[in-house]
Amino acid sequence: MERPRPVPVSADADTTARTYSARNVSKAFSGVPVLEGIDLAFRPGEIHTLVGENGAGKSTLLKIMSGVYSADSGSLELEGEALGPLSPATAQRRGIYLVPQEPRLMPDLSIAENLYLGSLPRGRFGFTVNWKMINNSAGDVLSRVGLSVDPRSLAGRLPLAHQQLLECARALAHGCTIIFFDEPTSPLTSHEAETLFSVMDDLRRQQMTLGFISHRFDEVEELSDRISVMRDGAVVAHHLRGESDRASIINAMVGRELTMAKRKTRPERSGAPILDVRHVVSKPEVEDISIQVRAGEIVGLGGLVGSGRTELSEAVFGLRPSSAGVVTVDGVDVTGRAPQDCIDAGLIYLGEDRGRNGIFADVDLTRNASASVIGRLPRKGRLIRKRQEETMTQGALQNAGVKAANMGLPIKSLSGGNQQKVLLARWMMAQPKVAIFDEPTRGVDVGAKEGIYEMIESLTDDGLATLVISSELDELVRLCDRVYAVYEGRVVGELRGDAITSDAVGQLAVGAA
Amino acid sequence: MTTTTIAPSRRRLPVWGTVLAAALVVELMVFSLTNTHFFGGGAGMLSQIELFLPTGIVALGLAPVILTGAIDLSVGATASLSSVLVGVLILHHVNPVLAIGIALAVSTIIGLVNGLIITLFGIDSLLVTLATQFIASSLAVSVAGDNPPFGFPDMFLALGEGTVGPVPIALLIFLVIAALVMLLIGRTGFGRRIVLIGYNPSAARFTGVRVMRTFVGVFTMSGLVAGIAGIVLAAYFNAGRSDSGMSLLLPAITCVVLGGVDIFGGRGRIGEVVLAVLVLGYLTQGLLNSGVSSLTATMVTGLLLIVALVVKIAFERRSGESFLGTLRRRFAARTGGSPGVGRGAKGGSEKAAAEPRDPAHS
Repeated sequence: MERPRPVPVSADADTTARTYSARNVSKAFSGVPVLEGIDLAFRPGEIHTLVGENGAGKSTLLKIMSGVYSADSGSLELEGEALGPLSPATAQRRGIYLVPQEPRLMPDLSIAENLYLGSLPRGRFGFTVNWKMINNSAGDVLSRVGLSVDPRSLAGRLPLAHQQLLECARALAHGCTIIFFDEPTSPLTSHEAETLFSVMDDLRRQQMTLGFISHRFDEVEELSDRISVMRDGAVVAHHLRGESDRASIINAMVGRELTMAKRKTRPERSGAPILDVRHVVSKPEVEDISIQVRAGEIVGLGGLVGSGRTELSEAVFGLRPSSAGVVTVDGVDVTGRAPQDCIDAGLIYLGEDRGRNGIFADVDLTRNASASVIGRLPRKGRLIRKRQEETMTQGALQNAGVKAANMGLPIKSLSGGNQQKVLLARWMMAQPKVAIFDEPTRGVDVGAKEGIYEMIESLTDDGLATLVISSELDELVRLCDRVYAVYEGRVVGELRGDAITSDAVGQLAVGAA
Repeated sequence: MTTTTIAPSRRRLPVWGTVLAAALVVELMVFSLTNTHFFGGGAGMLSQIELFLPTGIVALGLAPVILTGAIDLSVGATASLSSVLVGVLILHHVNPVLAIGIALAVSTIIGLVNGLIITLFGIDSLLVTLATQFIASSLAVSVAGDNPPFGFPDMFLALGEGTVGPVPIALLIFLVIAALVMLLIGRTGFGRRIVLIGYNPSAARFTGVRVMRTFVGVFTMSGLVAGIAGIVLAAYFNAGRSDSGMSLLLPAITCVVLGGVDIFGGRGRIGEVVLAVLVLGYLTQGLLNSGVSSLTATMVTGLLLIVALVVKIAFERRSGESFLGTLRRRFAARTGGSPGVGRGAKGGSEKAAAEPRDPAHS
């Protein structure tokens, strides 16, 4: 290995303008396919934007292309040359950089140190760090992204928007010319985002290769030279600048090959709400939300990721603190109570992140399903009767339509759809009065979705008060009798019956109406 | 809704337990054949392991802690404190039963305090118990004073050396605790929660498991069991030595790990830990009895542990996977940290990521 020479800063990476492509890239997380055979090219001098619903695989693709994840199959090609296995460090050496959604800087190091972290320019003998060179060239790089700050001050002192620009400057400091932005604007105000956009515009003019993910259509249309729409792990449509209209993009985003069954009309319910959430505040995501759900109705919560829907549910279910508001379940006050108390009161919450917060991957089906009712299992004295436990859970799993060879299998050996059905069975064993289903069909293949919808409907017909959170608009249209639209931590609208359409909910969700 | 039948789970022989049992039998046979003193007509063999039993008892208290994915480094020091305390009290003419009660109460309180600090402040169990270890051991030294207590009444000594028929009382204590812990982990709600937390603390929290309460319980129990080990120690040595417990910690962890308990929590069986205690105990004692120096015996223990852990991987091979493939898969899973890595009570309060996230990089 050659010892690295003292190099002029920003010459440590390939700097020529290059096309970077993914060829037939596939990836699965714990057996759930996230990307399937992606072919996509990012070209120099272009901002290429990926749009799609949550879970469509946009972030995963950019993370693979920048070495954060490795693809299960397929290849990455730089100017037609196949790249070997990529780590974030080797990607950076090839001039590829991912600006993450949340800046990942070292807050206690100086701005200059953060810029050159990983390849600090050395002094003449290669042992010491050439601070003079760093601090001088840092100023140049920072000015390229419009930051006029002292390179010697601490990075952690910068406001979030500037940290984002610093991330971008890092890419430049390392001489990267292929830069991906993974939803960089979601933590920024629109004014702050403008600054970032003008930097991106500059970089485009310098013939850099830029990739971008955003959920905000205004900025997508303003910035992009090319838009690729992703859905369920595949690229389903391409649009060039100017030839894209919002309706066709949204269509491609939400459309399904399978036409969804029509919503089942249920009689309008008028009884007292079983779930009554009044003015719940859980900063910073939940500003003030009130919702009511009655027995026998399915109510939807529509909105963007980060609008506060999941955070509201977690606050209601006692998973995160709320600073104000009252939650009652069938008249019982459960405000601020632990999840177990909520379950005992008849409220259950199926979380959105199945792998992390739902399944016990290595545990058998029986114990996975009975986890919500450990205290209520049949006992002899103080000891759980395992045979009866298994019979009980077996019944629940079969009712939920779980397909599995036997009860002793670890849940991770099941498909995503079957895993989700096991979790539904788990929660139905708790015999809830109110259920909150957060993204109930995420990571579930299309075929299994309808089964889950039917199960939710039949439970609701049996008197369950059901709240569904979904980022898939047509899922809300398919299921819900009523939909609350949530935007930036507040309910901004309520739709009923036939007024619930993808367009209407989508408009409310982006704060447009 | 389609209804398909799911077959009941098949009962399978625990592979690792079988290996350990076989190793134990082989070991006992070899030592009995090469060393007549070791066998001693059967009864002799039972008493061979007495010296190792306090370690085994500590391991039984430690196993549930490790099953949650946490660790308790204070058990050795707690055992020391308990042994010194019971000795001093007895020599001050406190009724031995009361003395034992007080020592156990103090040990339990140490465990309780561990659990409370870990959960209330959300500090890693490794750090908290490292700290309380120092406190407990210095307490033990100061309680022992200049003249550590020794010379106890026979009735108390029986706990360490006495027998019921051919069976040492200490072995009975060990087996009773083993049976209780086995039932606790396998058949009670508390045990079920312990295991689920070990597998995935965040999912446990989302499923309504009272994670903090379970942690406090598990550490309290660990303290109590360490206290019992301390009393057996005092009775065996006929003295309360303030340093006696410290040497229990690492062998106890060794027993738990050799017993197949995943150091990151979740997986593991108490029955296999019991077998591991016997395997390791007889191995150490058998080697010493065969005239091997204790240095060599310790070294052999280390080598054996490594061999055992490697062999264990071989048994976890998936069908069609090469041995190296298993290693690679495990390594890939490990370097990223499994969901159970979160030692202590910092359950996943982080907001779930919007895009599917590989646990290996979160």
